[in-house]
Amino acid sequence: MSGTVRARLTVSPPLVSASGLETEPGAGGGARPLPTIASSSWEGRARGPLAGSATPRPMPDSAAASWASDCSPMGALELRVGVRGGRSVATHQYHQGALRVIRPHYLDGSGQVCYVVVNPGGAYLGGDVYVLDMEVQAGASLLLTTQSATKVYRTPGCFAEQRMEIRLGEGARLEMVPDQLIAYRDASYRQRSHVTLRPSSSLVLTEIITPGWSPDGAAFKYQELRLRNEIHVEDESGAKLLAMDNLLIRPPARDVTGLGFMEGYSHVGSLIVVDRRVDQALADELHTLTDPREAYTGVSLTATVSGTTGLVLRALSNSTGELHRLLSDCTAYLRREWHGQGPIELRKH
Amino acid sequence: MNDYQLALQQLCDSALPTGAFAHSFGFETYIERRVVFDEESFGRWLTVFVGQQLTYSDALAVRFLYEGGDLAELDAHLNAQLLPREVREASAKMGGRLLEIGVEVFPSPELDAYISLVREGQAAGHQPLAFAVVARSLGVPFEAALAAYLFASVTSLTQNAVRAIPLGQNAGQRILRKAHDDVAAAIECVRHLGWDDFGAVSPGLEISQMRHERQRARMFMS
Repeated sequence: MSGTVRARLTVSPPLVSASGLETEPGAGGGARPLPTIASSSWEGRARGPLAGSATPRPMPDSAAASWASDCSPMGALELRVGVRGGRSVATHQYHQGALRVIRPHYLDGSGQVCYVVVNPGGAYLGGDVYVLDMEVQAGASLLLTTQSATKVYRTPGCFAEQRMEIRLGEGARLEMVPDQLIAYRDASYRQRSHVTLRPSSSLVLTEIITPGWSPDGAAFKYQELRLRNEIHVEDESGAKLLAMDNLLIRPPARDVTGLGFMEGYSHVGSLIVVDRRVDQALADELHTLTDPREAYTGVSLTATVSGTTGLVLRALSNSTGELHRLLSDCTAYLRREWHGQGPIELRKH
Repeated sequence: MNDYQLALQQLCDSALPTGAFAHSFGFETYIERRVVFDEESFGRWLTVFVGQQLTYSDALAVRFLYEGGDLAELDAHLNAQLLPREVREASAKMGGRLLEIGVEVFPSPELDAYISLVREGQAAGHQPLAFAVVARSLGVPFEAALAAYLFASVTSLTQNAVRAIPLGQNAGQRILRKAHDDVAAAIECVRHLGWDDFGAVSPGLEISQMRHERQRARMFMS
């Protein structure tokens, strides 16, 4: 990343970050390695998807070097949400290249702000890197979605990549419900989300992965999809790993369609919930809610770390609509039971 | 004879009381769905299980430990990436038994260090790491240790399938013979994997392992 001059858009006057996260020295923003990516980097991009690192813990130096050798990202987005006058507002906002957000919405009277991420380029191509940095400060609530599906087209030579850094403060809440990811023929895509939250934070993430259209109608024409969500809980004693959701689908390497892999389905849906209120009763409730549906679904709980627990739901289906309805049922349940809110209703199409 | 040969055989014997007989790691869900019902269909499940779970989780954990990876960090990663609760608990339970047995019959400072981490709540004590710590302390080379670990896992799963499906004893032996290829493929595959592959287990296996929690009639704890 080079220190090119970029436009900086600040919705309300920029604040001195109490959490010390505004680390960029001087102007420009974004011209610095993201701290957590530097501590556990993707392995060298140039080596291709199969190249493996021999060491479990890449040295910070080499990781920083591999980051520094990257060119400017295709799109970068920073968003920080705090509480002002009883509702959540952006306190810092920055975008560059092919990523931006459209003006915020308030879908109900809860004070939760809704931002819609837009990729004006329309699709991710080979070698593209998108970098998102999201922070929800203490007590604030952010609903984050996308304007349309994330499409990954052919990526000859180098995969497309999205790296997201998310930090949630005390009592902060993030609901992230993007549209589906569509991987077309010969697409390779890596998505890495690194979340750091407090035991009192509340996180809901959904994801739908679908194969794109191919001339012969086959579902698994993409090369490789890697989606990795890493969630750390931070308290006075430091940050501990709570959940690592690592999905790798590489159709050319093996038959992914059948028993033990996709079980005859073509689409994957995931839900991750991290909240102090997550317990076995919630897992049972979401099982009851989702089990009658056509999709093949499993729900389980992570270990408990620093008093908070994660719930992971995974579903296989042949339809985006089916997975969307199933995940919407779950988010609607959580919004009603925990926050007294109605289901998410976005009129974006 | 190698110094470690008999020790490794003892460690990998299916009579080693780690409780492996009580775990199907999700294949019981396939039996209930009648997807696994005979020698051929169990063999197909086993090939996927070895190529996915045992390669991307267990074998990588063993490899990273042999390469000098930080034990507490590897343990924390296993605990975080084994998302189906029963599988995470099975790994820690069997690992705990292996630590107990290991400290009596193959004591080493490395093993003591792992046990201390578990006692202090700094680690869960997962089976592949407990095995790798003991095997490494005995001087077992990486590939020999990994082959023995994978084949021991395959053997106990096959014995469980013989009881649960049920299958004949000779069918069990045929399955094991075929699984040689799966184990060899896993050992070859794991050499090419990296840190970002750690814990990348297929959604189908995971969902089946999660659904096992709610299965009514069952023989196995996972």
